[in-house]
Amino acid sequence: MSGLRNGMPPLLEVKDLSVSFGEFAAVKNVSFALRPGEILGIVGESGSGKSVTCRAVMRLLAAAARAEGSVTLEGRDLLALGEDELCAIRGRDIGMIFQNPASHLDPLRRIGEQVAAPMIRHLGITRREGLKRAVALLDDVGIREPEKRARSYPHEFSGGMKQRAMIAAAIGCRPKLLIADEPTTALDVTVQARILHLLRDLNRRTGLAMILISHDLGVVADICSQVVVMRNGEVVEQGPIDDVINRPRHPYTKLLIESQPGRKTYGTADGPDGGKPLLSVEKLSVSFSTGGGLLGGLGGGGAFKALDGIDLEIGAGETVGIVGESGSGKSTLARSIIRLNTPGGGAIRLDGQDIGALSGDALTAFRRRVQMVFQNPYDSLNPRLTIGEAVAEPIWRHGLADRKTAQKEAEALLEMVELPASLYDRKPRQLSGGQCQRVGLARALSLKPQLLIADEITSALDVTTQAQILELLVRLQRERSLTLIYISHDLSVVSSLCQRVYVFKAGRVVEQGVAQQVLSRPQHPYTQALVGSLARLPAHTGTISQPV
Amino acid sequence: MADTPAPAIAAPSVRTVTPVMLVALSILGGWLVLALAAPVIAPYDPDAIDILNMLSPPSAAHWFGTDQVGRDVFSRVLFASRVDLLLCVAGVLPPLVIGTTIGLLSGYFGGLVDTVFMRIYDLTVAFPFFVLVLAIVGVLGPGLLNFILALTLVGWVSYARLVRAQVLTIRESEYIQAARCLGYPPAAILAHHVLPNAIGPVIAYAVSDAVLVMLAGASFGFLGMGAQPPLAEWGVMIADGQAFVQQAWWICLFPGLAAISLGLGFALLGDGLGQLQRRGVTA
Repeated sequence: MSGLRNGMPPLLEVKDLSVSFGEFAAVKNVSFALRPGEILGIVGESGSGKSVTCRAVMRLLAAAARAEGSVTLEGRDLLALGEDELCAIRGRDIGMIFQNPASHLDPLRRIGEQVAAPMIRHLGITRREGLKRAVALLDDVGIREPEKRARSYPHEFSGGMKQRAMIAAAIGCRPKLLIADEPTTALDVTVQARILHLLRDLNRRTGLAMILISHDLGVVADICSQVVVMRNGEVVEQGPIDDVINRPRHPYTKLLIESQPGRKTYGTADGPDGGKPLLSVEKLSVSFSTGGGLLGGLGGGGAFKALDGIDLEIGAGETVGIVGESGSGKSTLARSIIRLNTPGGGAIRLDGQDIGALSGDALTAFRRRVQMVFQNPYDSLNPRLTIGEAVAEPIWRHGLADRKTAQKEAEALLEMVELPASLYDRKPRQLSGGQCQRVGLARALSLKPQLLIADEITSALDVTTQAQILELLVRLQRERSLTLIYISHDLSVVSSLCQRVYVFKAGRVVEQGVAQQVLSRPQHPYTQALVGSLARLPAHTGTISQPV
Repeated sequence: MADTPAPAIAAPSVRTVTPVMLVALSILGGWLVLALAAPVIAPYDPDAIDILNMLSPPSAAHWFGTDQVGRDVFSRVLFASRVDLLLCVAGVLPPLVIGTTIGLLSGYFGGLVDTVFMRIYDLTVAFPFFVLVLAIVGVLGPGLLNFILALTLVGWVSYARLVRAQVLTIRESEYIQAARCLGYPPAAILAHHVLPNAIGPVIAYAVSDAVLVMLAGASFGFLGMGAQPPLAEWGVMIADGQAFVQQAWWICLFPGLAAISLGLGFALLGDGLGQLQRRGVTA
């Protein structure tokens, strides 16, 4: 069933593994096997039990957890080993890398020492020899000038470099198995592509077997040969990656594949051609002073340019995407448009009117026309208010209705974003992330805005939830003929949703144009890198055009 | 179909009362009842002088004995609880209200307002609390009202600092940005969105502050800078009795025990509220 070839004993065999925390069963009867030299992907959404499974393999579970079943590494049952024997296996036979490399590196020790530490401990080599090998390992994982870099501290490394250093530390003792728990989730897409490439390369060169845990089917499809799909602590499907993706049997796997960004295009309404733009941004610059602290006023020098001469135009009814990696200035643009920060230069005009000059009633009127949905589903709602109150508040505060009528309207709005009326009295923490994001949408739409800015609104959500929110967004955009600015780091989401895109890099627009063209024929080298690093599922029957 | 169902975790109720709080609440509740019912319970007029029965030890007639002019110590302890409880409220509320308001404004708007208030804060914490209150009362002259005024002048800074720290993190949260983006007036944002999320630790602090105020009240009464004799106040009673502590220990002991028990009540309540606060944060 999982396509085990005969004659090759599995390196790791997990049989009927169950993990429970008190009453709650996090993992239920999970079985899979990994042969030497293979890369196995475990895919699932948050809470599916994929990380708990791997922590059980490493015996890294909290004391309250109970694990049953068997985990056999080359004939030894890991669940039955004592702590001493485990310590000899962890780091030596099994290496592990984590999602957030920054929190797994000691900020006070040099990178070289940290890479050398497991080797010195497990292989009994000298410190000098360990450091020498650490430099070679850093070279192996693609860190330039490894000798110099080995003497650096973690804060001098970028996120991608930290993850490379973590990989170097994990493979130092030549483990038989590397467990990578969401190794690229915290990284930008272009960096993600390079890390995945490195992992695949390591696997080819040294035959290192890996388990790659990810919420992103695209990432798994990119480098794994076998895949296990988990949901609610159970394995719903497993097999060779091509079989699972091209012929998924379980409905959940099908849903997961359908939900991949870029699998379908959403037919957003076309904006009218020509005419005056609704929103135009001219030579906008925003800078933040970097000093800040005690000497900030004295130095006066260092200012970080978050936006550096941005020009863009958005027509009424258009859906425009803004893409860029973290720090590219895309959120700064959004905050400037809604006047949460003051531009240093340039102008933003709505219907030809400079919004920087608005005040009093004109500003209030502007607030009603331009609204924003924020990134973090929980943080964007006041934890003390019920979601009904949160949605009703803008209506009565703007004097559009009295409080009682506002409450009625809020109920209608919640219904519009497909939330059941029974949730009206819930507080945000009693809702799921996707539901909170729907509340955020309802609140933003309560003032009936013309222009809606969505800043990374799905980046904190699971991929299937993301697909639902996008569908909702498209429906609302159509029904209310909204002008939509969709900001994301994910080019595939943007291109499936938007008619036009602007690509941001380091505070500048490096490319703009019709979404499909930018995706298929990127001009700027940076856009090409972005497009090239999309971890997409293998070629499929083309895009599924969505009937609306 | 909506996305993933709402988490089925019944969020642990933040309102749960812990055993510690139960003890604290019964102590404080007990004192409140005693204070309110003092005229009914007290067997004697607290200020009635009875020279014939002066310095008599605890007995069936005088449960806590009598003092140097024959006043019933039990009745005086009861009546003093009214003064001391009132002192706790009057010594905590004004600094709380003033400090919270200043902390909100200072944290939310920042800039010059913030700089000025924070320098005043630095100046105030440079002196020990008691010394500063003592100095101010010294200037204004002794008396309960001046004592409360001095407490307010010194006490607001702690609240302001606490609230300001809360506001600084709350200010950056997306729900405040959303509120600004939705065009709510700043006063509404402060009152409706910032304050309710900042007030929790302030309440917990206020309760432990009440202990400090009560001890300060008793100490200042003892020093003759707070409540003035013949008004029954625990600190004043202890001060009055200290000359006779060798032959009549009961004059000092009973008001002392009363002060300790009330202080314990507030301290435990502060502990309990702090626990709830932390649990609420992790929940």
